[in-house]
Amino acid sequence: MKKKLLAAMMATVVAATSLVGCGSGAAKKEAEEKKVEVPTEPFGDTVKYDPSVEINDGKDITVELWEWGSDDLFQEVIDGYTAIHPNVTIKLVNNPWEDYWTKLPLALDGQKGPAIFNIHNSYHENLINYLAPLDIPVEDLQADFTGVDAHVIDGKVYYIDYGMMTGSVYYNKQMWEAAGLTEEDIPKTWDEMREVAKKLTIKDGDKLIQAGLNFNDDFHQNYLLGLNYQLGENLFQEDGKTPNVNSDAMKKVMQMLVDLYEVDGVGSKDFGEKAADSFGQGQSAMVLQWGHYYNTLKTTWSNIDFGVFEIPTFDGEPYAYNRYNGESTFGVNKNAPEDQQAVAQDFVKYFLANDDAQVAFNLAMSTFPAKKSLADNEKILENPSLKVLSEHIDHYIWPGPMPSTVETSLKKAGEDIFFNGVAIDTALDEAQNNIIKDMKSSSFESVENLYTYAK
Amino acid sequence: MFRKTHPLQSRSEIILRNIVVTAMVIFFTVFLIVPIGIAFAGSFHEWNPLSGTYNFLGLENYKEVFTSALFGKSMLNTLIFSVVVIFFRVALGLGIAYAIYSALVKHKSFFRALYYMPVVTPMVAVAFVWKFMYNPQIGMINQIFGLDVNWLMNPKTALLAVMIMTIWKDFGYAVVMFMAGLYSLPADALEAAKVDGANAWQTFRYITLPLLKPMTLFVVITSIISYIQAYVQILIMTEGGPGTATYLSSYIIYDEAFVKYNFGYASALSFVLFVITAVFTWLSFRVSGTEE
Repeated sequence: MKKKLLAAMMATVVAATSLVGCGSGAAKKEAEEKKVEVPTEPFGDTVKYDPSVEINDGKDITVELWEWGSDDLFQEVIDGYTAIHPNVTIKLVNNPWEDYWTKLPLALDGQKGPAIFNIHNSYHENLINYLAPLDIPVEDLQADFTGVDAHVIDGKVYYIDYGMMTGSVYYNKQMWEAAGLTEEDIPKTWDEMREVAKKLTIKDGDKLIQAGLNFNDDFHQNYLLGLNYQLGENLFQEDGKTPNVNSDAMKKVMQMLVDLYEVDGVGSKDFGEKAADSFGQGQSAMVLQWGHYYNTLKTTWSNIDFGVFEIPTFDGEPYAYNRYNGESTFGVNKNAPEDQQAVAQDFVKYFLANDDAQVAFNLAMSTFPAKKSLADNEKILENPSLKVLSEHIDHYIWPGPMPSTVETSLKKAGEDIFFNGVAIDTALDEAQNNIIKDMKSSSFESVENLYTYAK
Repeated sequence: MFRKTHPLQSRSEIILRNIVVTAMVIFFTVFLIVPIGIAFAGSFHEWNPLSGTYNFLGLENYKEVFTSALFGKSMLNTLIFSVVVIFFRVALGLGIAYAIYSALVKHKSFFRALYYMPVVTPMVAVAFVWKFMYNPQIGMINQIFGLDVNWLMNPKTALLAVMIMTIWKDFGYAVVMFMAGLYSLPADALEAAKVDGANAWQTFRYITLPLLKPMTLFVVITSIISYIQAYVQILIMTEGGPGTATYLSSYIIYDEAFVKYNFGYASALSFVLFVITAVFTWLSFRVSGTEE
């Protein structure tokens, strides 16, 4: 009797479970169907995507797309594409950033590399030999996107930027108000910035309690590699290969950083190990950070009430406001089988023509859209870190995919100045020599001359 | 492959021996000898395996190694780091092992396990915890001692701070090794010393210490090999900074190979380091008089 009862109970449980399974599966499918709208008409600006054109003659095909993060974002684009082309399966493969850049080139070198992969332009030199040129006329890309010229190699484009990331100043609103500051006090120049930073600094005797401005650990990325443009100096000399990091402009920027800490006392090299963390932990009132920081604050330090303003300038009329770096579109593996490459090319075109995908990616990365038609997109301008860039976005310079030694050598130079007592001239000369040595066999060539307002 | 050499060896025993030896030879050939050969050839080239660059340079990479001021500085740092850490590892290891070995101490296994725990904890985890402890604002070390020192960003304290962490993590290894050595000392020698009226210090100085010489040598040599290769703690705690103040020789190899993808130069550095390690190991044997 007991056995029969037990069997009956188990059968009930199994039946109930399968019903629940069916229910949730059906609901999920229904939700997915609702979410993915299948376009029937061609869409896009100059780069158009025609959903009525069959891919791979309608035959089933599977390709891989490799990326290092934001799976949901990629999956959404994949779902949109595969809804149009149900015969295509795109398998999303996530490799953490640390592994991605060793695994990817080795996979691309073989026969089984992914047909589509996410690119970061800092690894340009390791990837360019594995990329197939995009099957889209360069003029069409130029018509729709800014910064395309910088990606043209021998008349071909292998990837472009979908978004531009750069630096803005993030400030703690509570600290701002506590210091008696209002919106009117938002600084436009570095001199004003220094005065505001002084007001935001709190000390107990000589001991710093709250830094008015913190740039520890990222001064090289956020100040040294960018403010030189405000003073009219490029990061590379006219030949596009020789660095220019011991220029007068760089020395002036470095001196300003030293003065901020050692003369104004608005922060300290020993207070708040990393500026970004220190701001999030409520120790520092202002930091200059790049776009990604907006999402970091929203997710990691959601309790911080912050505002954003445009980077100050030295004189109000800069040659350029700052450096930017592009978030890159996908790459197509030239070693992949032809049918897979065709899918990859089609997928990239779909991504470029799709405004929703462009907006979603730019919001997720806090980058300003490179797609010209999205410059005044409502959703984009609702993001404060993007809104502050909108007015002068054409006044930012991309130097090209610089080798990492430019950043690391300047970081060492800055640390030598702040911590090891090395003179500014000596430290920057050493950085200059290190970069020259490390780049002696690099194919890098600066694209600063392609800046819209280049001298 | 191998002929039967002993009448008592069975056929299955010989087959098993051949399988094991062959497997080990293949394993070491594939995963050690071949990579070393590739790296050696690569050290004469401009080599980036990720972009496919492989251009012959001759001895250029080696010339660069020997003229690099940073390599010289990193070797000096490595020397200071190794000497200090090895000294304290051996001294603390021997001292604590001898204390635990003493008849006065109970629960010997507990203490042995306690001191060995940091050794089996991953270096990455330990380095992160210590980095937090050294934090100038919220770190435990400044809080406890009432100090205001930026341990890891001050050129006078950064290497010292990393050395302290490394000693803490690693001395337990020496404790266990010396305890093993102490338990294997011949009882008759110790008893003879006691009969001859030697006090505790004399017994330690003239009987125990000389008998522990092979174990001390083993700890020193394995430590030299280990610390010449040390880079994880530097990578996590200082990234070689401030500036290049805490660059160790192995950290340059990491930096050149996995940050700059300059595998040719990194390989040349590795072979120079290999020779230096071999020389130091040989010197240790010479100094201790146990070259044979």
